[in-house]
Amino acid sequence: MEQNKEMTASESLQLISESFNRSRKDILRNSAKYFILWGVLLTATSLAIYLLWHFTGKPQWNFLWFAMPVIGNPLAALIGKGHSAVPQNEVSKMLGGVWSVFGVFSITLSIIAVFLLPMRITLMIVILLGLAECISGVLLKNWPIIIAGFLLGIGGAVFALLVRSEAQLLIFTLGGILLLLTGFIMKIQYR
Amino acid sequence: MFPTLDPILHSELRLAVMSILAGADEADFTYLKKQTGATSGNLSVQIDKLTSAGYITVEKGFRGKMPRTTCRITPAGQEAFQQYVEALKEYLSAGK
Repeated sequence: MEQNKEMTASESLQLISESFNRSRKDILRNSAKYFILWGVLLTATSLAIYLLWHFTGKPQWNFLWFAMPVIGNPLAALIGKGHSAVPQNEVSKMLGGVWSVFGVFSITLSIIAVFLLPMRITLMIVILLGLAECISGVLLKNWPIIIAGFLLGIGGAVFALLVRSEAQLLIFTLGGILLLLTGFIMKIQYR
Repeated sequence: MFPTLDPILHSELRLAVMSILAGADEADFTYLKKQTGATSGNLSVQIDKLTSAGYITVEKGFRGKMPRTTCRITPAGQEAFQQYVEALKEYLSAGK
């Protein structure tokens, strides 16, 4: 790129549009890796707890949920590092904010449910998960993600009300797969 | 009468840098270099010109052990960038 090249008005506008869009795509494509990371962790954790609970009959395996943020947050910080760090824009910041709020709500509710006041935690968290996914779809202007988030939240809530055994954990496996798919959709959408 | 185009912005590399910074909170020097395909020396010179014009701020620090130069657009830079885009649109609409 040359600094002294004489540009016409349309060339200048084209340059602005191209630079702006390339950077925007880069930023949103970068956000996809966090969806993939948490998708893998959610799928693996929920499946592991389901299988351990199912084969041992001990619901105490649910304490493994608390390992997820312990593993996930340092990993997220690690993949965010890099010499040529991709910047943030309004959409990527809002996505980060939505999922951070989801994380804080989920962990706080889980602690209350385990140590203070038993409650239907799967029901609550699956609604929050569907809501966060739905809002992500709205921010990304992506209808498949909006619909998938809505179906996960509402369908998951009904499933959690109807199924009282450890099988209800499988709704989180589906949620994890949905996060993974969201990440891959973003990678394709902003290629 | 056409508005005059801001000579600071009417340069390919400076305009590309401003376009990236207009859509992001901040950007690393290495990111700008990668996005524009410019050489380090050339990019440094153009960033200095934008800084002198008050259109961007530059902050030097560290990310871990690596030195990091972060650029941000200023409110004056946003204003100048918007005016530049408006002026370009006037040129183009007059040409139709």
